[in-house]
This record gives sequence, structure tokens and C-alpha cells, in this order.
Amino acid sequence: MKIDCEKCVKCGSCVKYCPLGAIKLDEDCAVIDQARCVDCGDCIRTETCPVDAFIYEAQPFPRSVREAFSNPLAEHKETRVPGRGTEEMKTNDIRGLFGKGIIGMACEVGRPGVSCSFKDVDIVTRALAEGGMEFAEENPVTKNMVNKKTGEMSKDIMNERVMSAICEGTVPIEKLANCIKLATEAAKKIDSVYSLEFIDRPEADRSVPMQKVLDEAGIKYYRNGKFNLGLARPLAQ
Amino acid sequence: MKGVNTLDGDLVFLSMSAKGYANDNPEAGPKMKKTLEIAKKHNPVNLGDMKTGNILAVSEEQIMNNVVDTSIVHAVFNNVADAAAFAKEVREAELGISLVISAPFDKAWEVADKSGCMGHTIEFSGGIWGKTEYLPTPEINDFTTMCGHGMISRYLVEWVLDRVKKDKMTAKDGAVEIGKQCCCGIYNPDRAEKLIKAIVGK
Repeated sequence: MKIDCEKCVKCGSCVKYCPLGAIKLDEDCAVIDQARCVDCGDCIRTETCPVDAFIYEAQPFPRSVREAFSNPLAEHKETRVPGRGTEEMKTNDIRGLFGKGIIGMACEVGRPGVSCSFKDVDIVTRALAEGGMEFAEENPVTKNMVNKKTGEMSKDIMNERVMSAICEGTVPIEKLANCIKLATEAAKKIDSVYSLEFIDRPEADRSVPMQKVLDEAGIKYYRNGKFNLGLARPLAQ
Repeated sequence: MKGVNTLDGDLVFLSMSAKGYANDNPEAGPKMKKTLEIAKKHNPVNLGDMKTGNILAVSEEQIMNNVVDTSIVHAVFNNVADAAAFAKEVREAELGISLVISAPFDKAWEVADKSGCMGHTIEFSGGIWGKTEYLPTPEINDFTTMCGHGMISRYLVEWVLDRVKKDKMTAKDGAVEIGKQCCCGIYNPDRAEKLIKAIVGK
């Protein structure tokens, strides 16, 4: 994203709308810190600029990954699905990927609202791989890995920043405690944050098998979260 | 803040079709459109589609006309009764597409029980790890995290709070202004208004 300095009237109305604080008022006009900007498109969508000074230009690779991972309205070429991850538990009622000892786990690096580089992502994916995660094939982070066994990310994109990148996959419940340990150790090495997520299926008595592992690992989960109501057909048993 | 519990009034639904599975067909778009039509009957505080935006930023007509097979549609309610009535009607419509609620788990189970749905799969949020010093204050975070894509600017929230404090903007207008940034439609303007009022003491 860029700002046309010839058009800009230096009103400053756009500055507060950038979620990453990448827009500053310079002597002549408002300017975007290109290293910090993740091409999320928020500045254009809010239509705050009175003179339409924002310029959008599709970027060549590797800069193009910024928009793909940051603009919620951008579709990933491979999946045609907008957003940053896969369908994960949202369609588990038909896909049946999680449950019965297979736990879904995700570290969304950069979330909430901090952003991250792929150097941060690389640290997390390597830890998850060592912990036994089988990465989700349709996930855009997985598609940018050069080695799914080690979690190594492509060096081509290592210097790119994105709003967030979801490292996700499945972990057998017997490996979950170790995977959590490695992931939380990796958290100390990144220059960002990540949000941690776990997916399982409740038993008939409404208990959730993974809960015991999370409790023993000291994970304090929130009282709210996502809940699939099981309306897809055919229903995954 | 005066300890206002706003989370219980934040019941967010999303619906999408599973790519490559039995219901990945040309009917998925119309089915999701039907889901939004049902939502409109039950007092939603927000609606949207990941492809287009939410009703705080674009017209309802635009959203409805642009629903396609790969859409992800959202509807937000501020109470269990409306949320359950919506889920019940979607279940009875037998659309065969996944419906997910994001809410406090006790409320989600209540919605499932009242609507005749089941708890098929659950996702727990295990907190935020790493350099948490980069995060805004918890009060600001309550607003910014309402958008899962990180599109709500902490600087805009601070600006809105300042304007409301100085009586230059109402809490309701401030909540809408913040919500325009969350394009998909999971932002809850009703909750945001309550949060603004609690923070500025009005």
C-alpha cells in the first residue's frame, strides 16, 4: 500500500485506522512504513481519505504473501477460501478430522493484532513438527514450508511480515503434552505473540478428553470458544 | 472498568461449506444466503460475509447479493433466546451445512439444547503466548479481539474513547465506527457500546 504524496492533504485522518500504526505524518504528506505495513487493506476499506490518496498495487512474490495472509477479503489461490487458515473445526461435522484421540492444535502467530515475520513462524512450526504435529495440507503456512517433517519455512518469504499466520494440524493425544511444552518454549524465542487453540470432540457426558492433558500442562483456556453444532450432512460420526 | 460482563451477550455464528465434500456443490451459496435470511428474522446485532463485509460498513443488499459457494457468512446475537431461535430455524431448514457458534461454553450448550442441535466439536482458546508486552491494555484488547483478523486498530479505539469522553461522539456511534474495520461481520456493536460506556463511565 502506498500514499500519493501529490494528492495527500496531510489531514492525518488515516493514521488512527492502521491497526499496526504504520502510517505517519511526514513533513510533506502521510507516509506508510513499508517494512511494517502488511498490505491488509484496512486503510482503503475504511474510506477515510478525503482525496483518495491511497494507492493499491498487487505486489510480486515474495511481498505478495503479505496481502494473502493479512487481507481478510483476499483469497488464497489454492483454496479459494478467504482468511488465513483452513476450515479446521468449522466443518468437522462433515470432515471428521478431529476427535477420538486426534487433537486439532493451532498457533496463530501474530494474533491478536501484533503481526509477525515468517522468522517467527519458522520458530513455531519447527517446534510443532518436533512435537509430532501433522500439518494441515490445505493451510497456507503448510504450503509455504519446504519440509513438512521439520516445519522449515521457505527462505524466500522469511523477511515478509503478515498480520498473522496460522500454524495448524493434528496431534495424537498421547503426544499433545510434549507438543504443548515445545510450543510454549518456542513462544519465548519469537518477537511476536501467538494465540493457542485446541480442538476435540465432547463425549456423551459433555466432558472433553483433551481437557485433562491441557489441565496437566497448565494451559488456562478461556471460558468462551468455538462450538460446532453438528448440522452438516452427512454427519461425521 | 466497572466489571461489566459483556461476553455473555456475544454469541457469534458462522457458516461455511466443506470444500471437496458432499455439500461442496453449487447449492452452497444459496444455502448460506438462506442462513443469513433466517438470521435477519431473529434480531441480529451484526451480519456479514467474509467476501463482502458487514452491515456496519456495506449494505445488507450488497452482502446478500454477493454470497457465493466459498463464502463464510456470520451473524451475531446479544442473547441466548434469539441465538437459539436462529439455530433452531436453521436446523429445521435442513440445509446440511456446518453451523458454528463462538460464545461462552455454558451459553453455547444452552443454545444447542434449546435449538435441538448437538455439540459436535469444541475448540478451546489456550491463551496468548510470547511477547505479550506488545499487546494493548486489556480494556483496548476487548475491542480489538472482537475481530479475529486483527483489523480493528487500537489507535482508533483510543480515539473513539477520547471522543466519547469529551462528548463529541455517542457510545453507539463510536461502537459502529470501530466495527466498520471488522469486514467479516463477527464484531458485536452492542457489546462494544457497553464496553465504551463502562470505560468512560457513562
